[in-house]
Amino acid sequence: MSSATLAHPSVDEKQEPGTGKLGMWVFLASELLFFGGLFVAYLYGRTHFPGGWAEASRRTDVLLGTVNTAVLLTSSAAVALAVACEEDAQARRWTARLLSLTAALGIVFLLLKCLEWHDEWREHLVPGPDFALHAAGAQQFFALYFLMTGLHGVHMICGIAALGLLARGRSRGRAWAGARELEVAALYWHFVDAVWIFLYPLLYLVDRHG
Amino acid sequence: MAEECAASTRFARERRTIAWAWIALLLLMLTSLGSAYAKLGPWNMVAGLVIAGIKAGIVAWLFMRLREAGVLIRLAAVAGLGAWCILLVLSGVDYATRTLTPTDVQRPQQLPPAHGAASQPR
Amino acid sequence: MTTDALPASYLEDGMSLRSWLTTTDHKRIAILYALSITAFFFVGGAAATIIRMELATPAGDLVSNDAYNKLFTAHGVIMVWLFLIPSIPSVLGNFLLPLMLGARDLAFPRLNLLSWYLYLAGGLITLEALLLGGVDTGWTFYTPYSTMFSNTYVVLTLVGVFVTGFSSILTGLNFIVTIHTLRAPAMGWFKLPLFAWAMYATSLILVLATPVLAITTLLVAAERLFQIGIFDPAYGGDPLLFQHLFWFYSHPAVYIMVLPAMGVVSEIIPCFARRPVFGYDTMAYAILAIASVGFLVWGHHMFVSGQSLAASMTFSLLSFLVAIPSAIKVFNWTATLYKGSIRFDAPMLYALGFVGLFTIGGLTGLFLASLSLDVHLTDTYFVVAHFHYIMVGGSVMAYFGGLHFWWPKATGRMYPEVWARIAAVLVFIGFNLTFFPQFILGVEGMPRRYHAYPPQFQVLNLFSSTGAGVLAIGYLMPLVYFAWSMGRGKAAGDNPFGAQGLEWQARSPPPTHNFDAPPVVPARVYDYQADEPLPEAAP
Repeated sequence: MSSATLAHPSVDEKQEPGTGKLGMWVFLASELLFFGGLFVAYLYGRTHFPGGWAEASRRTDVLLGTVNTAVLLTSSAAVALAVACEEDAQARRWTARLLSLTAALGIVFLLLKCLEWHDEWREHLVPGPDFALHAAGAQQFFALYFLMTGLHGVHMICGIAALGLLARGRSRGRAWAGARELEVAALYWHFVDAVWIFLYPLLYLVDRHG
Repeated sequence: MAEECAASTRFARERRTIAWAWIALLLLMLTSLGSAYAKLGPWNMVAGLVIAGIKAGIVAWLFMRLREAGVLIRLAAVAGLGAWCILLVLSGVDYATRTLTPTDVQRPQQLPPAHGAASQPR
Repeated sequence: MTTDALPASYLEDGMSLRSWLTTTDHKRIAILYALSITAFFFVGGAAATIIRMELATPAGDLVSNDAYNKLFTAHGVIMVWLFLIPSIPSVLGNFLLPLMLGARDLAFPRLNLLSWYLYLAGGLITLEALLLGGVDTGWTFYTPYSTMFSNTYVVLTLVGVFVTGFSSILTGLNFIVTIHTLRAPAMGWFKLPLFAWAMYATSLILVLATPVLAITTLLVAAERLFQIGIFDPAYGGDPLLFQHLFWFYSHPAVYIMVLPAMGVVSEIIPCFARRPVFGYDTMAYAILAIASVGFLVWGHHMFVSGQSLAASMTFSLLSFLVAIPSAIKVFNWTATLYKGSIRFDAPMLYALGFVGLFTIGGLTGLFLASLSLDVHLTDTYFVVAHFHYIMVGGSVMAYFGGLHFWWPKATGRMYPEVWARIAAVLVFIGFNLTFFPQFILGVEGMPRRYHAYPPQFQVLNLFSSTGAGVLAIGYLMPLVYFAWSMGRGKAAGDNPFGAQGLEWQARSPPPTHNFDAPPVVPARVYDYQADEPLPEAAP
C-alpha cells in the first residue's frame, strides 16, 4: 500500500525524526521513578539512622568508588563524542571506535565493582547473620548499597550490550546502527551515568571525616 | 564547501563543549570527594547533593542535549522528576510529623512444635 | 491482488498461529490481549464465586481460613493486575488509538508485541504461584506479614506482578509517543476524541507510577529473602515505608482503571444521544486533572495505619479535591443527554450504568476520605463496596460497553441486540444486588477479609451472594453471543451506529493498514445532530 494515499508517513517507513528520542526520554522518566523508590528508602534510612549510615558508609571503598565515577563520567563523554562524530561527515569514521571505548569503560566499571563487592563480602559487609557492623541501620545501609549498585549494574550491562552491538553494527555499515539509534542508546547511557552521579556521594561520601 | 566549513566548526564547537564538560565533571567529583572530608555537619549531605545535581545537570543539559531539545522532551524530563518529588515530599510530610514512641519489640509467640525440632517463621 | 478487490481485513491477513503470535499489527495484538484477559477474568471470577459461596453462611464452613485468605488475594491480584489494568488500554486502546488518530499503527509496533508477551509471562508466573498453593497476604502485600510471616508464594507472585508491570509501562510509552507524533495533520489536540485524551492521561500514570510498584516488589522480595530490615520495626525499619511506596502506585492505578472507562463512556453517550459531548474542553482538562491530582492522594489508604495526623489531613483534603474533576465529568455526561434523541442500545445501557454506578462509588469515596468516618469504615465492607462500585460498576461496565460498541468495527459482525440488552440489565441488577448490601454491612461493622461473620449479617450477605449469581450470568452471556456472532451475526456496515470518529471511516473489519483512503478529519469533534436519526433502527 503506497503511503502517498495516507495523510502522513506510516510506520512502515522511517519513523518521524524524534520518535525514538521521545520514546527514550519517556522511558527514562519511568526509570527515574524506578530508581527513585530506592532513593526514598535510602533517605528514610539516612534520616533515621545517621550514626549507622555514617559508620557503614565509611566502610565503602572510596578509592574504587571515585575511580569508578571517573571511569563512568569519561565513558559519558566518550559516547557524547561518538554522537557528535556521527553528525560530522569527516569524523564519522571515529564513531564505532568511540562506541567501543564507551563499552570498554563500562566493562572496566563493572570489573571494579565486582572487585569492590568481593572485598565487601570478605569483610562481612554483606547483610546476613555474620554482618560485621552493629550500629543500628548499618545493615540496612549495606542492603540498600547492594540493591542500588546491583540494579545500576544490571542497567550497565544492558547499556554495554547495546553500545557494543551498535559499535559492531556501525563498523559494518548496518542500517540499524545509524545516527538515530546511536543517539537513543547514548541517552540511556547518560541516564545510567546520572544515576551513578547521585549514588557516589550518597553511598561513599556520607561521613568521611568521622 | 561553506557547508563543510560550517559543519566542521560545529563539530569543533561540539568537541570543545564535551571536553570542557568532562573536565568540569571530574573537577566537581573531586570537589565532592574533598568536601566529604571537611567537618560540615548536615551541610555535608547538602554539598554532596548540590554538586551531584550540578553534575547531573551538565550531563542532562550538554550530553543529553536538553539544551537544544524541544518543549516536549523537556516536559518528559520534568514530569519524571516532578512525580518523584511528589513521592518524596508527601511521604516526607508523614515522616516529618510522625511522633515515634520507642517500645520493646514483642516477637510473636512461637507455638510449641507438635513433633520434632522447632522451625523459625521465615 | 486485482485493482477491484480491496485488501484483506486484518483478521484474514495471515491465518496461521505463527502469524498471530509474531504479529505487530495493533489490532491483532488487541485481540491477543482480549483473549488472555478474558481467561484471567474468569479465573478471578471463579475465586469470587467461591468467596461469595462461603459468605452465604455465617460459619466458615466452605473453606478454611488460610484457603479463604488465598482466595481473596488471588481474586484481587488477578482482577487488578491481570484484568482491569490492561483491559481497556490494552484491548480497546490498542485496537482503536491508531484508528482514531488516522494512523497506520502505534509508534512502536514491535514494542507493542513485547508488551503482550511480558503480560502473558507475568500472568503465567502469577498463575503458577496460584497453582503451587497461592498467596495469603491480600493483593496489598502489607508488611510485615508479607515479608516476615507469610508462608506462601509471595516472591513468586511478586515476580509475576513485576513482569506484568513492565508490560504496562511499555504500553503507556507507546501510547504517549503515538499521540504526540502520529496524529493526522488536521487533528489538533482539541479535536482528539475524549477516548484518546483518556488513553494519554492513563499512559502518563502508567509510565510514572508503575515503576514505583516495580521497585516496591523488589524491596519486598529482598526483605523476604535476605531480611534486610527496611520494613521491620525490630531493626528500625518502617512498615509504613512499604505502604507509602505501594500506594503511591496503587492509588493512581485506580485512575488507570477508571480514566479509560470514562473515555469509552464519552464516546458512547454522544453517539446514542445524538448530541456532541457537553463541554468538550472541560472534559479534556478534567481528564488531565484527575490524572495529576490522583498522584497526590495515596495516603488516604493509610489513615489508620499510624501515619501522622498532619499527613492524613493533607491527604484527606487532596482526596476531596480529586473528586471535583470526576464530578464535573458526571455533570457533563448528564448534560450531554439533555434534548438528545436517546437510544437504549446495549452500549448505551452499559454507559448509562457507568454514570450512575460511578457516581455512587465516587460519592462513597468522599465518606472514606473523611478522617473521622474512615476510622469507622476502614477495613469494613463499606470499602469493598466502594471500590467495586468504581471498578466493576464503573470500569467493567464501560469495558463491556466498549466491547459492544466497537464489536462491529473489530469483527464486521453485529452482536444480537436483544440478548445484549438482557445481559446488560442482568449485569446492572446483579451488580447492585451484590454490592449495595455491602455498604450497609460495612456501616454495621462487618470487617473485610473474614470468611466467617456474626449471624446478624447473614441476610445482607445472602442478598449479596444471590446478586453475584445473577451477575455471573450477565457476564457469561456475552461469551456465548459474541462467539455466536462471529459465525452467524449479521454483517455490520462500516458505521452501524452512525458514530463520529475516524475509526468508523475504516472498513469493518479494517485492513491491516487501517485505511484504504486517507480519513477525513471532521471540522468539529462529536458533530452529532439530535434531529438526525441513526442510519438503521436496532433489530
